[in-house]
Amino acid sequence: MKASFGQSNNPKRQKLIKMVPASGKADSLLGEVAFLKLQAIESPIKTLEELKSALQTAVELEHSTIPPYLCALYSIKDGTNDIATGIIRSVVVEEMLHMILAANILNAIGGTPKIDKEHFIPAYPGSLPDSDNSFIINLEKFSKESIEVFLRIEKPEPTREHPKVKDYHTIGQFYQGLMLGLEYVNDHTAGGIFLTDPEVQKRQITPEHYYGSGGVIVPVYTIDDARLAIEEIVGQGEGIDDTIEDSDQKLFGQGIEYAHYFRFNEVLQERMYCENDTPKGGPTGEKIAVDWNAVHNMVTSPKIKDYEGYPELYEKARSFNQTYTQLLDNIHCACDGKPELLMKGIGLMYQLKYKAVELMNIPFQDGYMAGPTFELDRG
Amino acid sequence: MKVDNYDVVIVGSGIAGAVIAKTLTQAGKTVLMLEAGLQAGIALDAEGSYKTYQKYIETFYNAPAKVPNSPYPDLKDAPSIDVLDIEKLQNGIPSTDGYLVQKGPLPFASDCMRGPGGTTMHWLGTTLRMLPNDFKMKTVYNQNVDWPLTYDDLKPFYEMAELEIGVAGNVSEQKYPDIPADFFGKDYVFPMEKIPQSYLDKEIGKKTEKLKVSLNRREYELTCISTPQGRNSVPNEAYKYGSIVWNASKKKLQLETQDQTYNPDGSLWDPYTGQRCEGNASCVPICPVQAKYNALKTLRRAKQENLDIITQAVAYKINTDDHTNEVTGIEYKLYKTDRSSEYTTGIAKGKIYVLAASAIENAKILLASNVANRSDQVGRNLMDHLVMLTWGLTKDKIYPYRGPGSTTNIPTFRDGEFRKEHAAWISPLDNWGWSWPVFSPGSDVGKAVSSGLFGKKLREKMNEDVTRQFLLHFEVEQSPDPGNRVTIDPQYLDAIGNYRPVITYNVGDYMLKAFEASKIVSDQIFAANGIKDFTYYNPKTDPDYVVYKEQGYTFRGAGHIVGTHRMGFTEDDSVVDKNQRSWNHQNLYLVGCGNMPTLGTSNPTLTMTALTFQAAENILKQLQK
Repeated sequence: MKASFGQSNNPKRQKLIKMVPASGKADSLLGEVAFLKLQAIESPIKTLEELKSALQTAVELEHSTIPPYLCALYSIKDGTNDIATGIIRSVVVEEMLHMILAANILNAIGGTPKIDKEHFIPAYPGSLPDSDNSFIINLEKFSKESIEVFLRIEKPEPTREHPKVKDYHTIGQFYQGLMLGLEYVNDHTAGGIFLTDPEVQKRQITPEHYYGSGGVIVPVYTIDDARLAIEEIVGQGEGIDDTIEDSDQKLFGQGIEYAHYFRFNEVLQERMYCENDTPKGGPTGEKIAVDWNAVHNMVTSPKIKDYEGYPELYEKARSFNQTYTQLLDNIHCACDGKPELLMKGIGLMYQLKYKAVELMNIPFQDGYMAGPTFELDRG
Repeated sequence: MKVDNYDVVIVGSGIAGAVIAKTLTQAGKTVLMLEAGLQAGIALDAEGSYKTYQKYIETFYNAPAKVPNSPYPDLKDAPSIDVLDIEKLQNGIPSTDGYLVQKGPLPFASDCMRGPGGTTMHWLGTTLRMLPNDFKMKTVYNQNVDWPLTYDDLKPFYEMAELEIGVAGNVSEQKYPDIPADFFGKDYVFPMEKIPQSYLDKEIGKKTEKLKVSLNRREYELTCISTPQGRNSVPNEAYKYGSIVWNASKKKLQLETQDQTYNPDGSLWDPYTGQRCEGNASCVPICPVQAKYNALKTLRRAKQENLDIITQAVAYKINTDDHTNEVTGIEYKLYKTDRSSEYTTGIAKGKIYVLAASAIENAKILLASNVANRSDQVGRNLMDHLVMLTWGLTKDKIYPYRGPGSTTNIPTFRDGEFRKEHAAWISPLDNWGWSWPVFSPGSDVGKAVSSGLFGKKLREKMNEDVTRQFLLHFEVEQSPDPGNRVTIDPQYLDAIGNYRPVITYNVGDYMLKAFEASKIVSDQIFAANGIKDFTYYNPKTDPDYVVYKEQGYTFRGAGHIVGTHRMGFTEDDSVVDKNQRSWNHQNLYLVGCGNMPTLGTSNPTLTMTALTFQAAENILKQLQK
C-alpha cells in the first residue's frame, strides 16, 4: 500500500515524515510509531532523563536553523524578491513554532527548557546540534549557495540507520527516535509521564500567547497532545527524505501547504510547483522573479571579534546580539512558567530586523558588508 | 462561471457588497459583482494580494500627506473623494477641483475609498452598536426621524456583523447611558478580548472617570470605557459562534456555533500574519499586517465558484421595464487602464440587483437613471459625524502615537434628555497626539528646526513636547436635513462622461449648540487633568469654521457618509422600505450607510453591516419565492 503524504491533522499539508514502506497504516505518526514498535525497532531512549535531554536537543535543533534563515531573509533588499522573502519568512516562523512545541512537550513531562543556557546559540559555521556533523551551516546572505544549504537542512541524504537522537544523520531520524522514546518511556512509567499538576500545566504556551507564526500552537497535557505536537513539527517539513520522490500522490497545487524543502526549491529553481508536478521532476509552474543581486553583500559567518577594530560597527553588532539575547531570555522565561511574557517579544523581533539591516548596510572588508553575528551578549 | 443571468448583480465590493456576495453565494446563489476599482486590488490569493498590498504600503510611505486615501490608487475613470480637495468656500462659488463639486455653504468634509474592499481599507475599525433611542429619536426627543426598525429588530444581525468583522472588546465594560439590561444577550461576548487600552487612556482615565461636569444646569458623571473594534486580538474562549448560514426551511439567517475556539482571520496573503494587532498605529490609512478587518476578508469567504467579479467596471445607469417597473439591467463602462479614458460598455443582468457602491455613488447612479426616486428623497439627508477636536499638553508625559487611533471613549453624552435641545456625541480619547489638527509630529519638527534647534536639543524638545500631546474628539450626530444633498449636473462630468456628485451642505443650530456644549465639557476635562489647552479654530483657513453665539468652532469630517437613500415608513418619505428594498422597484435593493435614517453616535460600519445581513436575508427570501 502506498504511504499517504497528507497529514492527518491537516490533510492540505504535505506529510513529510519518512514513511516506512508497506506499513499500511502510516497515515499518521501514531500509525508509524505503532509500526516501528511492531517491527520491534528499539527505542534509542529508555529513561525519562534521556527523553528530557532529547527534547532539549529538539528545542536547540529547531532554533539552530533560525539565525541562518534570518540572515538570508534580512539580506534581501526591501521591496525586492517578494516571493522569496515570503517563502523564507514562512519557514522561519514555522521553526519558531516548532521550538515552542518542543518546549511544550518538555514542560508537560516535568522538564525545564533551557533556552538561556550558555551554548544555546550554536557557533557558525557549524552543524545541527547533536548531529553527525555531516554538513556545515553558515550565517550568510541570500544566494543560490545558501538556499542549497537550506535544502540540505530540510532534506538530507537518506540513511539506512535506525532512529537515534545522538549523532543522527537526518532530522527525520532524530524525530523518529524521539517519538519512539516518548512512547517507550510513557508506556514504561506507571501512570504515564504527563503531569496533571495544575502548576505544571500552567507552564504551557497556548494559542492565547502564541500567534502569527507558522501554525497553531498545541498545548500538551497528554500523550495524544504530544503526538499531535510532533506531527505538527514533522508535518511542516522536518525529516523529509528521498522516499517522497517515489510517491505518485498529488503533492502540489492550489491549497496544499508545501514542506520547507519544496518551498526553498521553488526559490532555487525560480519556478512555482503546479498541480501535476512531481518531486523528481521539480517545479514547472509559473516563473518566480528572483533577483539574486538585490541583496546586501553580507560577509559570511562574521564574529564579534572581527569587528574589534571598528568601534561603531562593534557597538552596533553588540546591540544586535544584546537584542537577540534578550529575545531568547524572554522566550526562556515564557517557557519557564510565564507564558504571558511571550507577547513582549514582538517588539524585540521588530528591533532585530532593523538592527540586522543596519549592520548589512555598513561596508566592512573587501567589498563585503557587515552582518549580525548571533552571539550571546548580556551586556 | 459566466452565465447570462445571475441570481443577483451587486455593484461595489466594499463591506456591504461583500457581505451580500458572501451570504448569497454560500446559500448557493450565483452572483455577479461590478467593481469600479482596479483589477489588482481584488486579488484574494496569497501572491496577488501580497503584491497589491505591499504596493499600497509603499505608496503610503512615500505620500507627503498621509490622508486616508493616500495608499490607494486615485483613478481618473473612477475617482475617489479626497479630503485633500476640501477647501474653504467663497460665497456662491462652487469648489470643483476635486471629484466632488462642493456648492456649500459649507464643504462636505469626508472621503471614502472607491476600489476593491471599499472604505474598510482605511477605516479606523471602531465597532460600537447604536443605542435603542437612536432608532426612535422622533418619538423620544421630538427630533430627527424614527427608523422603521428597532434596536431589538437589529440585535441578531448585530451579532452576525460582530462575527463577520471579528470584533475585539469587553462586553461587560460596555455601559452606555439609558440602555436596558439585555442590550447584549445573556452571556454574550465578542469573538476576541479587548484591544489593550493605551497608557494614555489609563493616565487620562485617572482624573476623568467619575469626573462630575456641569452642562446647561445639569450635572453628569463621566465614564471612560474600552472601545470595541474590528481588529484581531486574543480569542475569547467563551465565544461560541463560527459561521452565519441561511436556513432555507426557516427562511432565516442564523449564527451557527462551533466547538473550536474562534480563530482570528489574518492577512489575505498569510493566515499567520495579522492574527493580532501589533500596534503599528497606521490603522488609518493602512494596517500593514491586516490585523484590522477589511471587506476583502469577507469577499474571500464567499463561495468563489458562484461569484464572478468584473473590475474596472463603473456602473452608471439602471434600466427598468416601463410596465413592470422591474430593473432589467445595470449598464457599466469598462475602462481599459487607469491612465486612459478608453472604455467599452456592458450590461449586467440578474434577477435581483443590489447597489452597494457607497452612499454618494448609490445616490448618483439612481439620480442618473431616474430610478427609485418617486419620493424625491434620493440624494437628500446627507449626513456625517461632525468632529470637533480639542487638544492640549499634559503635565506629565502620556506617550501618544502608540496603538490604534483610539482605544477608549467617553459614552456619557451618547444619549439623554439633552437631545431635545442639542445633538448627542461620543468622545473618543485619541492615541495619535495632535496629528489630526496640526499634522504633528512633522509640524513640531518643522517649527523647532526653523527656530534654530538641531541635534540633541531638537531631540530633547521633541521628547519633551510630543510625548505630552493630548487630543480629544467629539463626534457630533448630524440630523437629517433634506437640503443637505447629492445632486447631478451635466456640467460636471468625470473623464469617462459619468456624473460627478454635486454637494449642497450645511450644519444647523441643533449641531452648533452641541459644539458649544462639547467645548464646555472639554474645558472641564482639561481643567481636571491639568491639561494646557492649545485648541485653535482658524476662521481664515479652516474650511468648516462655524460661528455660534459669537464663538467660533471648526469641525472636520469623520468619514461617516450616511443617509442619501434612507429607509422609512412610507414610499413618500423614503427611498427604501424596512427590508431595504426600493419602494418603487421590487427587484432592486440598496445597501450601505445610505439607508440609515439617522446616524446615532456610533461609527456607522457595524450598524450598516448588521443592516446588510438583514438585506441579504430578505433577498434570499425573495429568491426562494
